[in-house]
Amino acid sequence: MSRGLKTGVGVVLTAIMLFPVYWMINVSLTRDTDMRDDPPHLFPLHGTLEGYRAVLDQQLPYLGNSLLIGLGTVLVTVALSAPAGYSLARLRPRGGGVLSFVLLVAQMIPSIIMAMGFYAIYLRLGVLNSTAGLILADSTIAVPFGVLIFTAFMSGIPAELTAAARIDGAGPLRTFWSVILPVSRNAVVTVSLFAFLWAWSDFVFATTLDGGGTQQPITLGIYHYIGNNNQQWNAIMATAVVASIPATLLLIVAQRYVAAGVTAGAVKD
Amino acid sequence: MTRATRPTARHRGGAQWAAWAFLAPVVLYLGAFYAYPLYRNLDLSLRHYTVRSFVQGDAPFTGLSNYGTVVDDPTFWPAVWHTAVFTGVSLAFQFSIGMALAVFFHQNFRLSATLRALFLVPWLLPLIVSASTWSWMLNSDSGIVNAALRLVGLDPVNWLTSPAWSLASVTIANIWIGIPFNLVVVYSGLQAVPAEIYEAAALDGARPWSTFWRITFPLLRPVSAITLLLGLIYTLKVFDIIWIMTKGGPADASTTLATWSYRLGFGNLLPAFGPGAAVGNLLIIAAMIFGLIYIRTQRRALS
Amino acid sequence: MRTKLRASLLALTLLGGLAACSTSGGDTGSGSAAGGTYTIWDPYPQYDDASAWVQLLGKCGTDAGVTVKRTGYDTSDLTNKALLAAQQGNSPDVLIVDNPVVSTLAEAGVLTTTDDNKLDISAIAPNLVAAGQTGGKTYGIPIGANTLALYYNKAVLTAAGVDPAAVKDWASLTAALGKVKAAGKKGITFSAIGTEEGSFQFLPWYWGSGADLRKLDSPEAVSALSLWNDWLKSGYAPNSVINNTQTTSWQEFATGQFAFAENGTWQLGNAKKAGFEYGIIPIPSKTGGTAPAPTGGEFVTAPVQKDTKRYTTTQKLIACLSSTDNALATDTTLSYIAATDAVQTKQVAANAELKVWVEAVKAAKGRTSDNLGTKYPKISEPMWKGFQAALSGGKSAQDAFTAAQTSAAAATK
Repeated sequence: MSRGLKTGVGVVLTAIMLFPVYWMINVSLTRDTDMRDDPPHLFPLHGTLEGYRAVLDQQLPYLGNSLLIGLGTVLVTVALSAPAGYSLARLRPRGGGVLSFVLLVAQMIPSIIMAMGFYAIYLRLGVLNSTAGLILADSTIAVPFGVLIFTAFMSGIPAELTAAARIDGAGPLRTFWSVILPVSRNAVVTVSLFAFLWAWSDFVFATTLDGGGTQQPITLGIYHYIGNNNQQWNAIMATAVVASIPATLLLIVAQRYVAAGVTAGAVKD
Repeated sequence: MTRATRPTARHRGGAQWAAWAFLAPVVLYLGAFYAYPLYRNLDLSLRHYTVRSFVQGDAPFTGLSNYGTVVDDPTFWPAVWHTAVFTGVSLAFQFSIGMALAVFFHQNFRLSATLRALFLVPWLLPLIVSASTWSWMLNSDSGIVNAALRLVGLDPVNWLTSPAWSLASVTIANIWIGIPFNLVVVYSGLQAVPAEIYEAAALDGARPWSTFWRITFPLLRPVSAITLLLGLIYTLKVFDIIWIMTKGGPADASTTLATWSYRLGFGNLLPAFGPGAAVGNLLIIAAMIFGLIYIRTQRRALS
Repeated sequence: MRTKLRASLLALTLLGGLAACSTSGGDTGSGSAAGGTYTIWDPYPQYDDASAWVQLLGKCGTDAGVTVKRTGYDTSDLTNKALLAAQQGNSPDVLIVDNPVVSTLAEAGVLTTTDDNKLDISAIAPNLVAAGQTGGKTYGIPIGANTLALYYNKAVLTAAGVDPAAVKDWASLTAALGKVKAAGKKGITFSAIGTEEGSFQFLPWYWGSGADLRKLDSPEAVSALSLWNDWLKSGYAPNSVINNTQTTSWQEFATGQFAFAENGTWQLGNAKKAGFEYGIIPIPSKTGGTAPAPTGGEFVTAPVQKDTKRYTTTQKLIACLSSTDNALATDTTLSYIAATDAVQTKQVAANAELKVWVEAVKAAKGRTSDNLGTKYPKISEPMWKGFQAALSGGKSAQDAFTAAQTSAAAATK
């Protein structure tokens, strides 16, 4: 296949994959009276911007909060999982296998059970309805996964690098900070990507642990349009569209770095 | 690659200490954040909780009777079957489509990086939005899918409202949501395969399909294993998509263990926390079994 | 490349920090915080701090000498939040919940009775307060009530040659739907989803057949299900009703392609925006007359607190919310009918269209009344499973409800 043809096929495949996203945009521009028209309209012929107006009026602070929470989650996740991955991969502690299994099991607990458990803990600690509490809770989604990724990647780092550092007299901490971490840049970006995306779309923790908070993420902001009896679908979809834009830009930038060797260690093992 | 000189006994002890020092934050974190909810869930499933005893806190210990109730319930075996089908079919398609796309995008044509990034957009959307969008598209009367079917002369299908199709519909939506994860992880695994291997294969005259099947796929085995395992764990937990699209209906036709657990504990007017937690624990046990299988196969692969 | 990444991350963090101003909650009302902070939870997340509802809460707080902190939650989530909070001793001072949930919370010991909180229920219509009463005690007062009726599209009916006034019982309704279908339009839309919402919409037909909720397999009950089933089979109602919420069903009606829609008072505002002429008739019962419809609407309750001295102020807050003027404003905003005669009269005086709805509310029944209490949810779930099974073609109406009665009887033993 020629390169031009490949690009064409790629575009078509992406278009098919993103068709539901197109539909979401379509609904966000539709009037209430046209929403359930049979047959449905491919284009919002009598479009309305009232959904977007509502979103731009009300949702921008929520977007900012989601960004903050997402970035906070990334920091916490990387700070916790990178050292653990390094230890499991290079320092080979006894019982490391058990810990890996425990990390797998940790991911199996349904989020609502986690949220209910945290509620009790947070209430006693006084961090209920706080952004920091939510960041910690969101990190529980990503940390086990992060440790797995870092372990896999760091196993594949050539031993000469650490040997050289040891010869220069560096202890484990120094080796980690100055040698391993810079080389693991791609793994860091991958883990950050997943941590950010999971925190961005989290709803269960947000509603249980930050339901009464003053800084709420966008997944709660959407409930402005989900009233007890009526839902404003064009505004709901508009919120999702507007919320996706900064995250998409972040994704495109980060994609360059989600490259070689995320699971390089796994391949070579 | 040479190993460093074998550490002395004292150094080995010191190395263990250092290793656990690096692990300490995560171990504390696991204990603080995961142990308590797991304990709570176990506790909920081993006692008889009414709404009153949930609030007042004096529920009697009833051992495994909640598990007995759950297994005896007529919904149990259908839910198990639906879970198996939902998970198996989702994984099979998510993984193969993700891998096919990864291989395709690996060929670095123009726009491949941007298109690959765009494939992750489904992940950015809150689940309530993606599930709702699929609901709209699959609506029996005003959905675009049925409109397209009518256009080509086929009969419309009751995607979400017929017992025959509801499980298929939620599976399709779940596959859509799962493709990005598989794409990213498999793609990065592909990146790690050295280019020389492909060049050597090309020099030997290997066609693309045999290159993939005989060379690339075997090299990707570890990546595939971890992707499938994580995919399994995440898919077993899935309930939002099904809940928003069909509520597990009609008449339990798309109820999986995860949605059933949610419905028992949170999805009705009179919560039954005990049975809900029991079903949740059964799911965790199922996932653990697969986790153990994974570790056994990994160990065998390494030896 | 790396510095660029760092720079963009830094910029994003700054942006996030700038935009992350207070989004919701917080203290409403700038009254003196002399009495402390009182928390109110309600199921109206569509109202933000600038709305009339939240301003009213703040004002009631100021009048009572306290600061009010209000949070709006998704209504389907609120029961669990209330239970979790009560378990942890973190209950709000005022909790506004959907009426069928009140008996569940009362049984859990989460709510105070009127003996403790000293609320005055004398002026409230008995049929409306019944949903909040179990075991002879009252656990809250209704903020207003809503119920169901049949909206119709005048143009569609005229074109089909149907006179809405002639729709008095099931037979005439089905005949009308037949005429509408013959004229090329769609008959009726409602919500038959497998949740409490579906049960809510099914109850007028259920009660209208003369059936009792304790016997789901009686011939009357089966006839109600057969009514819906036959409509679907004949194409008078669309297949999507099986998954419709009341909002979705309304959206179908709003396209102008339907003759009838079963929906509630809260759609009155949307009905005016629909762009076609509409009318309202009460839901007919099987043999003629108005079918009893279920009461919707939320109750204002006072959860149990460790510090019982708080109840005095809580009572003042609730009395303020339900005072004649405030109730009129609230019920007009929510598009509900008021719970007291006095305010109902004022509502009709302001808007004569509401007379039909006031009559409907007077004839309505609470779902948890008839002393069903917490038995109601255990009956409602098998009931919705039953009609879902029949409507989706899996079972016959008789089989579906026989199975439903077996589960309901087992659950309510």
